[in-house]
Amino acid sequence: MRGMRGSGHRGVARRRLRRWLLAAIGVLYAASIPWYRESGAAPQVWLGLPGWVTVALGCYVAAAILNAIAWWLAEVSDGGRDEGR
Amino acid sequence: MSLGTLGVIGLGLYLAGLAGIGEWARRSRRDATPADHYLAGRELGVFVLFLTLYATGYSGNSLLGYPGEAYRRGFSWIMSTGFMLAIVVVYHGLAPKLRPIAIAGGFVTPGDWIAHRFGRERAGRALQIAVAVLMVAALANFLFAQLKAMGLLAAQVTEGIVSYEVGVGLLAAVILAYETLGGMRAVAWTDAGQSLLMLLGLSALVAWLLTAAGGLSALTADILVSRPEAARVPEAAECANWASSIALMGLASMVYPQMIQRVYAARSGTTLARSFALMSFMPLLTTTTVTLIGLAAIPRFADLGDVQADRVMPLLLGTWAAADPHFAAAAVLVFLGALAAIMSTADSVLLSLGSLMAEDLLGRDHRAAETTLLGKRIAAAVMIAMAGLALVARNITLWGLIELKMELLIQCVPAFLIAIHTPRLRAGPVLAGLLVGTGIAVGVGLGLGLPRLAGVHTGLIGLVANAAVAWGGSWPRTRAGRVRTTCPTDR
Repeated sequence: MRGMRGSGHRGVARRRLRRWLLAAIGVLYAASIPWYRESGAAPQVWLGLPGWVTVALGCYVAAAILNAIAWWLAEVSDGGRDEGR
Repeated sequence: MSLGTLGVIGLGLYLAGLAGIGEWARRSRRDATPADHYLAGRELGVFVLFLTLYATGYSGNSLLGYPGEAYRRGFSWIMSTGFMLAIVVVYHGLAPKLRPIAIAGGFVTPGDWIAHRFGRERAGRALQIAVAVLMVAALANFLFAQLKAMGLLAAQVTEGIVSYEVGVGLLAAVILAYETLGGMRAVAWTDAGQSLLMLLGLSALVAWLLTAAGGLSALTADILVSRPEAARVPEAAECANWASSIALMGLASMVYPQMIQRVYAARSGTTLARSFALMSFMPLLTTTTVTLIGLAAIPRFADLGDVQADRVMPLLLGTWAAADPHFAAAAVLVFLGALAAIMSTADSVLLSLGSLMAEDLLGRDHRAAETTLLGKRIAAAVMIAMAGLALVARNITLWGLIELKMELLIQCVPAFLIAIHTPRLRAGPVLAGLLVGTGIAVGVGLGLGLPRLAGVHTGLIGLVANAAVAWGGSWPRTRAGRVRTTCPTDR
């Protein structure tokens, strides 16, 4: 069964979705760092934390969920036939 | 009953439990081969694999160093949640490709990949040795940090009844005993129990801290009053350091030998993927929690020095235990949870060190039972040496040790991550790149005393130069560079 998971149209769709998830994680990482805010500014408090910290944490929560889905979709074979090509 | 007495009883029970698991693992072993000793016969299921990945990834540095760093740097230390998550993200680039090759080739150590990928080239063996030397140096540093943290905690939980020196010696001996007896099985099973203890302890501590502070909003308000700069939007250099830390930790942790060996040790590829999926949530539960613990210390303790900041967690636990006699037992539980985290990392590091030195450095056969015995002897010698060092060199911060380890490890990335995706990469240029990158990391970082340039880790700058040399030197493609990113059929 496991060997069939990655084959055919469904396998291609899974790989494509996984790539999109990883790209979205990259975007979330870029958004988590407050490089776009005025440095040294006094923070607004959102949900009990400085706003820029809440945004960073929110990005990491979203990234963790997307990453878990990406691993769930990952095809990690034990077969070993020309996997590296 | 005092915290110290409770601590001695708790520590005794905990160590007896570890010894019991070690003996249970010894009886479960199938043979004396390196694959059985170092990889538990490649039979780790989702639950144990997930917990051993977790316990191995979260160490004394995470539990003691990170609260200290959050205390020093303030809210920007939320970056630690990002970089711990980056480890699980970056593994997408390595594990799915490495796993099938490793299973087909019967790999035991990271060096088996190097031998498989570059073994037919003249510089292949030299590259394998260079990678092993870097890994051994990084792991020895890591083991030293764990031993230091174990001694600190043992002294703290027993209120000095067990001294720092006795704590280091006793705990090092216990780890060596159960690991020698049961190998990876003992390490993984103790890791599983230690992970649960760690999670329980951290949850209890953060619940108390937030309750005592009057909630998250009140804690933030207290920090804004006592140290407002800790909550301000970080400067550009701190943002650069944030990005650099994510890249450094994510990439360097990917080539942790003990993590790579867990990729080999999983029962199946699906087991491995499920374990990594679960691991995605652990930075939120653990690193965010220890960051909050460090932040909670800001209004409580003013002006702790750099070395003292590593003691934020023990100081908080001491305060907690003193607040109410009923909290003392809970504080002991947290102490033991932290100790468990440290010991679980130390045992994994030690196991990897033995196999790396016996097989990758000394070139012994990865299928022979004699190699296992040699690995055990080497592990014992390394443990004794590092324990001795931990007794004399105490004035180094844990975070400083982590950064040094990462700057070295990250130079191995081209030999794994780039080599597995790039068939034309050759051993000679990869070796040259590794030497250049290490030279920059060590020369600029340690020699010139500049661990970061404009917030960017020198190890990361070294990696860019390293990858450029490896990539550029492998052009044009040669016959030797065309082979071996595929599964072995001739081993």
